[in-house]
Amino acid sequence: MVENIVEMENIIKNFGLVHAVKTGNFNLRKGEIHSLIGENGAGKSTMMKLLYGMYPIDGGSIKVRGQLLENLTPKIAIENGIGMVHQEFMLVENLTVLENIILGFEPTKGSVIDFDLARKTVTKFIEQYGMNVQLNKKVHQISVGEAQRVEIIKILTRGAEVIILDEPTAVLTPQEADRLFEIMENLKNDGKSIIFISHKLNEVMKVSDRITVMRHGDYMGTVKKEDTSPSELAKMMIGREVFLDLKKEKATPGEVICQVKDLWTSGNKETSKVRGISFDVRAGEIVGLAGIDGNGQSELVEAITGLRKIEKGSVTLDGKDITNLSPKKIRENGMTHIPEDRNLRGLNRQLTIKDNLLASRIDDKKFKHHFLRKDSSILEESNNLIGEFDIRPTDPETLLSSLSGGNAQKIVVAREISTVGNLLVAAQPTRGVDIGAIESIRSIIQEQKKKGIGIILISADLEEIISLSDRIIVIHEGHISGKIDVKDANEENLGLLMMGGKDTSREGLNLEGLNE
Amino acid sequence: MDLSSILNASLIYATFRSATPIIYAALCASLTQQADILNIGTEGIMLTGAFAAVAISYTTGSWVLAIIVAMLAGLLMAAIMAVANIKYGADICAIGMGINMFAIAITKFLMTSVFGMRGTFSNPDIVAIPRVVIPGLESIPFLNEVFNGWALTEWFVIVFIVLMWFLLFKTKWGLHLRSVGQYPMAAQTAGINVTSMKYQAILISGLIGGLAGAHLSLGYSRLFTENMTNNRGFMGVAAMFFGNAHPVWTSVGCLVFGLTDSIGARLQAYGIAAQLVLMLPYIVTIVVLSISMVSKYYTKKRRQSSLLLIR
Repeated sequence: MVENIVEMENIIKNFGLVHAVKTGNFNLRKGEIHSLIGENGAGKSTMMKLLYGMYPIDGGSIKVRGQLLENLTPKIAIENGIGMVHQEFMLVENLTVLENIILGFEPTKGSVIDFDLARKTVTKFIEQYGMNVQLNKKVHQISVGEAQRVEIIKILTRGAEVIILDEPTAVLTPQEADRLFEIMENLKNDGKSIIFISHKLNEVMKVSDRITVMRHGDYMGTVKKEDTSPSELAKMMIGREVFLDLKKEKATPGEVICQVKDLWTSGNKETSKVRGISFDVRAGEIVGLAGIDGNGQSELVEAITGLRKIEKGSVTLDGKDITNLSPKKIRENGMTHIPEDRNLRGLNRQLTIKDNLLASRIDDKKFKHHFLRKDSSILEESNNLIGEFDIRPTDPETLLSSLSGGNAQKIVVAREISTVGNLLVAAQPTRGVDIGAIESIRSIIQEQKKKGIGIILISADLEEIISLSDRIIVIHEGHISGKIDVKDANEENLGLLMMGGKDTSREGLNLEGLNE
Repeated sequence: MDLSSILNASLIYATFRSATPIIYAALCASLTQQADILNIGTEGIMLTGAFAAVAISYTTGSWVLAIIVAMLAGLLMAAIMAVANIKYGADICAIGMGINMFAIAITKFLMTSVFGMRGTFSNPDIVAIPRVVIPGLESIPFLNEVFNGWALTEWFVIVFIVLMWFLLFKTKWGLHLRSVGQYPMAAQTAGINVTSMKYQAILISGLIGGLAGAHLSLGYSRLFTENMTNNRGFMGVAAMFFGNAHPVWTSVGCLVFGLTDSIGARLQAYGIAAQLVLMLPYIVTIVVLSISMVSKYYTKKRRQSSLLLIR
């Protein structure tokens, strides 16, 4: 019989009225890579956070090495050899890499932290797995790939035997992801057991020994990799077959509608400062901006839409200079914008569906009467949009805070599409929404293109960029590292450009130390 | 106006003397700030400590006991803040201001009801914190003027600043505290009990605030008056912002306040309007805070700019 190192049975977890996990079942064998997959909101991350003791379970049982663990906390989880690399790195930016690694488990000499001993211990792990990290740098000075390695080293030094990786590849290029898979393989050969959370089926098929599928908080089953296929997994994940490859409308680009010329703007990190980017967008085409998160895409979008000061260069829309105008003025000139973070900029979660739907047209004559809002026409238009964009719930008076990610995003899309414009800036339009909503949002964007609107599409999802765009611009560290026509684009050459193109020896590829 | 009678050797001690109560208050605020909790209640904690110290010193005649009870009184006030903020989610500024107003009222009430005094409580039976006389120093005029006759708690504050620095940046507890303040989730996943760390920060800060009060009423003076902290707690909070909650830089901020306070007192002798002089520390507070905020803003902007290469 194979030994189960982790057994989770009939787990229940509610957050208020939300049933995050309804029937959670999961077991992990020693020395296997076990993938946990499902759509956004399926409960996979929650399951693993429960195993790591970040929330108490509302029902069910968790056993590690056959021993029942009650009142689990991260501390107890760590003591039982469980380590987790979170989707958002749990690193304190203003502390050094070394301080972060030893946090909570500091070796001490008297009352003082023994940094020399700590350095020695940590270096041993770094060398054993050939993971290059700079111990003295502060975390905000290192790259995403390196931060992820720091996280892995951190849990290894804490004696982790079970390693949970929560969507680790979301922030990596395909090439960096391959290096991560090598590390995972090394860890497995070393006897560690790995839980790999993902919703990318091709990755899952590549790395797993077994796969557990969850849907809407329910356990759908566990299969061996040899006995399944991507399409079968997709069916288990969403309950029906989906066709994300929608047919691309042929582009018939017209005049140049928007021109970005030698744009420079500030950035929160050194690598996200935009330094001299130029490109054009023509009417009726989709220009895709690809890049790894944090390479200046967000800053570029903010500069174009008037949310961040342009330090040098210009943006023209429809022949008019809109450089550093206020967002309101820019919108009046015909730009609409789906912001990348709907909760921060896209929506007011304390207001109702109708208020959010018509926020950008509040000054429209149709919706106001002198200084008052015209409730009848606002309600009528809201109902139209709710029907047209299939927003649920359908009551326009519903508070936004009770909506799911997908429906909330549809409201942002509905508002921007219904506002008349000639350029749509769509930043991460399908981030964090379910597959059904992804399909409909993508086809809406296609329709806009057919209507002759110029579209800038920013996405971290290469599959999305390739399936929607006509031309692709790749951004790396605030510069354009390449422009490709979609005919010639594939995940490999885009991935290479996302890492800066030529100089591949620098970032992320430090992992190659493994082969040396 | 004779400049040398304003800027002379005794100004050094005068500056340090008026800065010390603020330094204690600022360290009280710094400790919680490291855990990302703004301790607006510093003023009230300090005032309670000042009253408790005088009351105990008067009734028992022991300044040691007085300091201990003052610290416990500070702890009690801080405990109210901690429970309200951490357990019941009350806004820290609201509860802090509540503590400040409560402290003014309760000290006034106890002074009239227990000691039958109004306004100022001063009595020869109140035992002050002893002053340190260094033998042999009398013969050296300059050093004698600067260093002799400091209250014990004035010497101790120097040790205390170093101690705080050591605690925050060299010990395990300090690393845990800072990680809780900067990224509580990261601390939690490292197995650190965030709630417990926050309680500890507020409670220890209460002890320091109580000590600040005891020094004010028994070291800096030997009496208690209504609202005697007179915004020193807030000046401590301002200095904490100035020094970014780093014990050393925060104390430097306090010395600036102390300097204006003592120069102001001397200017008064030259017929400069008393009201104007009394405004000085507050004007300096505003100026210092504005300068530190503006410089932080520009540093951040410069750091983010794409036109400058910082390597």
